[in-house]
Amino acid sequence: MSANRWFATGNFFTTYKEEQRIFLTNIDRLAFALFLAALFIWPLFFKLSNKYMLVIDNILIAIVAIYGLNLVTGYAGLISIGHAAFVGVGAYTLATFSQLLGDSHVVITHAWPLMILVSGCMGAAFGAFVGLPAIRIKHLYLAIATLSFQMIFQWVINYLKFFDQGQTIYIGRVRWLTGFVGRDEHYFFWYYVIMFLVVVMGFGVRNLMRTRYGRCLIAVRDNDRAADAMGMHPGFTKVYAFALAGFFAGVAGALHAYLYRGVGIESFTLHQSITYLAMAIVGGLGTLPGAFFGPIAIRLLDLQVEHLAEFAGTILTGAMNLATALKPLAFGFVIVLFLMFEPRGIANWWRIIRTYLKLWPFRY
Amino acid sequence: MKKTSVIVLTLMIAFALAFTWSCAKEEEKPVAEAKKEEVMMADAPQVYKLGLSLAITGPTSDAGNPYSKGVEDYFRYANETKILGEDTIECFIRDDQYKTDVTKRNFEDFMTEGIVFYLNYSTGSTLGLKRDFEEEKIAVVPASFHAGNLDDSNYIFLPIASYSKQMIGLAEYVATNHAGDTPKVALFIHPSAFGRGPVEDTKKAVEKGLKIDIVEVVEHGKDLDNTATLQRLQSKGVQYVICHTVQSPVATLIKDAERQGMVAGEFGEAGKITFLGAHYTGGNDLIALAGSAANNYFWSTSYTLTSEAGPGTAAQLDLAKRYGRDDKAANSHNYTNGVMVAQIATEVLRRAKASGKPITRESLYDEMLAMNGYNAFYPLTTVGPVTYSQSDKEGVDELQIYRVEEGVFRAVGAPFMPEFAMKM
Repeated sequence: MSANRWFATGNFFTTYKEEQRIFLTNIDRLAFALFLAALFIWPLFFKLSNKYMLVIDNILIAIVAIYGLNLVTGYAGLISIGHAAFVGVGAYTLATFSQLLGDSHVVITHAWPLMILVSGCMGAAFGAFVGLPAIRIKHLYLAIATLSFQMIFQWVINYLKFFDQGQTIYIGRVRWLTGFVGRDEHYFFWYYVIMFLVVVMGFGVRNLMRTRYGRCLIAVRDNDRAADAMGMHPGFTKVYAFALAGFFAGVAGALHAYLYRGVGIESFTLHQSITYLAMAIVGGLGTLPGAFFGPIAIRLLDLQVEHLAEFAGTILTGAMNLATALKPLAFGFVIVLFLMFEPRGIANWWRIIRTYLKLWPFRY
Repeated sequence: MKKTSVIVLTLMIAFALAFTWSCAKEEEKPVAEAKKEEVMMADAPQVYKLGLSLAITGPTSDAGNPYSKGVEDYFRYANETKILGEDTIECFIRDDQYKTDVTKRNFEDFMTEGIVFYLNYSTGSTLGLKRDFEEEKIAVVPASFHAGNLDDSNYIFLPIASYSKQMIGLAEYVATNHAGDTPKVALFIHPSAFGRGPVEDTKKAVEKGLKIDIVEVVEHGKDLDNTATLQRLQSKGVQYVICHTVQSPVATLIKDAERQGMVAGEFGEAGKITFLGAHYTGGNDLIALAGSAANNYFWSTSYTLTSEAGPGTAAQLDLAKRYGRDDKAANSHNYTNGVMVAQIATEVLRRAKASGKPITRESLYDEMLAMNGYNAFYPLTTVGPVTYSQSDKEGVDELQIYRVEEGVFRAVGAPFMPEFAMKM
């Protein structure tokens, strides 16, 4: 390793410990700290409208959900087409408390960090249960098993009166140190809460990948028989991959419920599961930065296509179906383009830029 | 790693403190902003901002599209003909593709723009945003007539009788006009809150003495063939099917019934099935989809139809012509629906202005509540007056039954108020 901890160029590692460091140079650490500071400070100086704060909060929630999907599908190589259902499990855990205790019960409004944790644990429990078939089946067959869970989840919510048959179940306003969080600071408040969780959970994922449990996931993905021969337990690894994914999804679900102040089935449908999968693919499966880039890209694409469809709708009044088709068309088109030309996702562009900067001013 | 943890932890604590401080600071802002937003200058011509979020594209856009045109046209008309004097209405119309999260985003955007009155669309989004409406204290008129919208709500006003009232009204019509024993009825509903809502109310009406026998409640899926369902219903002796869903499943159902020779030629024809339906099952789109199978379909709504000439329908056709709308839009009951909610919004603005009140969310809400008795509103696009009060949030209480005769909806009898709906 270079003696200069600030301007090290290239890769010089003499121990595994050095290679596993999160920040290779002090410059990396400083840049990250500044970036983090900027993320937390900017809302204090630039007041965005509620509409855009809602969009940003949504992106952050999707990042939390994609952490989980990335673990199970990206790192562990287990295709999950039911991720929205796991997110839904988290949201409906909160909804269950709301139904049993009342939407403004102190447990929901005051103990909301605990509720988010409980929702995550419930997601993990469901994840582990749905992951059980992974011990026996894999690839397409496993994907079908997760799809089944998605279908069963939707059916149960749509038909159980306890869950108001998929109608909105309200969640009360939460309390913070300054009192109840009102409408004016709602999105602002949740921005900080979700951002905090994004950072903490991001570090969690990053650190997991530095442990043997994280390396197990990759080993099982690459060759589960070889991993078995090396002393790992592929079955257990797959189940805990699903459990971890369920935990992240459950947390995302609880955050969604608190942000929207209600839970309705339409946010946890198969379409949403496919959207999560698209986010993971476009961002870059099996990479931590991919979990950030995917949701940002897909949500912003959604927003822009919405504007385009609205515009097309106003000038092509006779061809309204064209405007209706624009969104799924653009969505599908982007996924196909990424699969064809950049299967490693946007994270790969990030990797190329970082490599270039790391070597600069040398070419190699 | 230890250093990193210390840095991250320090940053977190610093931002938590900064956030707490800013939250406390934020509390002062809204009051001043809201006042600035709501208190209008009295002398100069004012622009009153309204918002409408609806499905112009995506699911149910066949209804949402003409609806948005109706709203747009009437507000243009109101501005051009100076119904509010020199003041004008600016209505933001946004597509939400029938998605609640998009509706919520649109609503937040409208609130930032400073709207004083809001027009919503779907049942899901109306229920989903109910708490926001309460907190913002803004009067809302949705295109959904779901009775559940009114539960625990002060600010939602249905334009016409609820779906529950419509279903009960149709059931009463069956009970009154059926010859013989208690009529056997099946309910054919949409598999959602929108569809299921009125079923319980209809059952309650039966418990209260409405003389029909509900044999089965069928939740349709995306079936392209209903032969088995119809055979089952007929084997159970079902004589009437009351539908509460959207047009396409009804069109599939009655086309299959026609193919099997089950459609009654006249109301209550023995051995056949008479089909009836609530607001969103009917209209010209149903006739276009079902063709001859739509003949003898009974439909309830509170709107006037262009197939039955009258002053309201003539004005509607003139409006559509004035803004270059095609025949399909001009004759759509969803266009009428859009015009009517725009009429309500314009009327409350006019009344609030006439009484010298500042145009705020609060004053418009008060005007909505005062719209009853001698202050009832007669928009001509409906079969009865629009009345609202603290205890009545359904605008037009009267229903009109229409029947398809040779490919056209014709009025059957006079408008009526469902008796059992009043008892509940």
